[in-house]
Amino acid sequence: MLTDFFLYIAQGTAVTIGVTLVALPFGLAVGLLLALLYNYGGRWVSRAAGLYSLLMRGVPPVVLLFILYFILSGRLINLSPFWAGSLSLGLVSSAYQMEILRGALAAVGAGQMTAARAIGLTRLQAIRFVILPQAIRLAIPPWSNEASIVLKDSSLVYALGVPEILRRAQQLSATTGQPFLAFGAAALIYFALVFLTNRALDSLAERTKLPTQPV
Amino acid sequence: MKRFWLWLSLVLVVSLLLTACGGAGGSRLDAIKKAGVIKVGTSADYPPFEFVDASGNTTGFDVELMNEIGKRLGVKVEWVDMPFDSLIAGVQEGKIDAAIAAFNYSEDRDKVVDFSEVYYTSEDAFTVVESSSLAINDPASDILNLKIGVQTGTTQDDWLTALVDEGKLPAGNLSRYDRVDQIALDLKNGRIEVMMSDAVPAEALARQLGGLKVIYKGVLSSGPMNIVLPEGDAELAKAINEVLAQLKAEGFIDRLAVKYFAE
Repeated sequence: MLTDFFLYIAQGTAVTIGVTLVALPFGLAVGLLLALLYNYGGRWVSRAAGLYSLLMRGVPPVVLLFILYFILSGRLINLSPFWAGSLSLGLVSSAYQMEILRGALAAVGAGQMTAARAIGLTRLQAIRFVILPQAIRLAIPPWSNEASIVLKDSSLVYALGVPEILRRAQQLSATTGQPFLAFGAAALIYFALVFLTNRALDSLAERTKLPTQPV
Repeated sequence: MKRFWLWLSLVLVVSLLLTACGGAGGSRLDAIKKAGVIKVGTSADYPPFEFVDASGNTTGFDVELMNEIGKRLGVKVEWVDMPFDSLIAGVQEGKIDAAIAAFNYSEDRDKVVDFSEVYYTSEDAFTVVESSSLAINDPASDILNLKIGVQTGTTQDDWLTALVDEGKLPAGNLSRYDRVDQIALDLKNGRIEVMMSDAVPAEALARQLGGLKVIYKGVLSSGPMNIVLPEGDAELAKAINEVLAQLKAEGFIDRLAVKYFAE
């Protein structure tokens, strides 16, 4: 009984991981681009990036999910519930990741850009070879926070009918009348996933640390 | 900055237009027959109408009925499990071809979707904890001072909300929940005094969780149950209604009711 419970809920893990693996990298790509535009893009571009972040962080993820799936998908592009859900979460996450990365970019001293230009690097080269490698290292700890948030928010895709961990727990709770066991199993799986993610990112931060980096 | 606002308003206008002209024309029946698959939405957390069994399959009264309808139409039923709240939007936006989840007809729902013929008639029930001495004879007046729980988006929700709107039931007395099992748990925890729901799942919950009893059964908000179909698709509705009529005549639905609802 107990193992059946656990196995049924654990099948949702693949969906949870899948959604996270789409949303996080997508959010990182968009977020990084926007952070660079925000910091180095000039006045108007910077403002547009700021507005994007304001909008995306101001709208509840589930509202964006509904807009993308029920309103836009099927008219502009045809997205399956999985992709509509994952991409919406990715869009929301991109705004948060942008904020993390632009903070990290700003934390690399302005003198570094001046010095890099003085030894003959172009602006782009200075960003690529001097600023970004340091900024990304600084961004790992706050980014690991964002990673665990996206992992847990992935349960929102159930609103579109994608059965992940939490939904399977709800079904079992309804069928068996044992909510404690069902949600306990779900909590355990989420905890294990978040724990592993955070440990992996901690070790990445440790291994890539620069000698000059403050502890 | 002016340019920017111009673009922004353009984007907004275009998206509004896209929203306005949505919805596919023609019958879905051809597409369903061609694909050999009908996509049916349900919310598999409402035993015995729809739930997940021990081996992880979606089953229940509604599910078995719809599978038989699919078989007789010569197509396979692909089940899509959604929150109850999302089902009407799913049919409306063409994400699913139909929805079956113990839906009752209501005028508000009829504005955006269509309904099949009646396949079963359900009753409302009020459920309390076993130790309670509450009695309900005339619900419309007897429940007005009670803390009551109901599932969001159900006909029971409409019925209670109307009482709130008329100023009879204080809004603070009404709690809305996503799922019916959550109401039963809050009832047991003493946060609410009475649960209003369909009678069949209320009796199933009372059996399963224990410590609860149904103190009133009768038709207030619910009644005839129908399959939810896309708005204005007469061909699909006709095909499904024909099969429903066959199944009723053969006694198939009565046998299902005995299988799932009998004690």
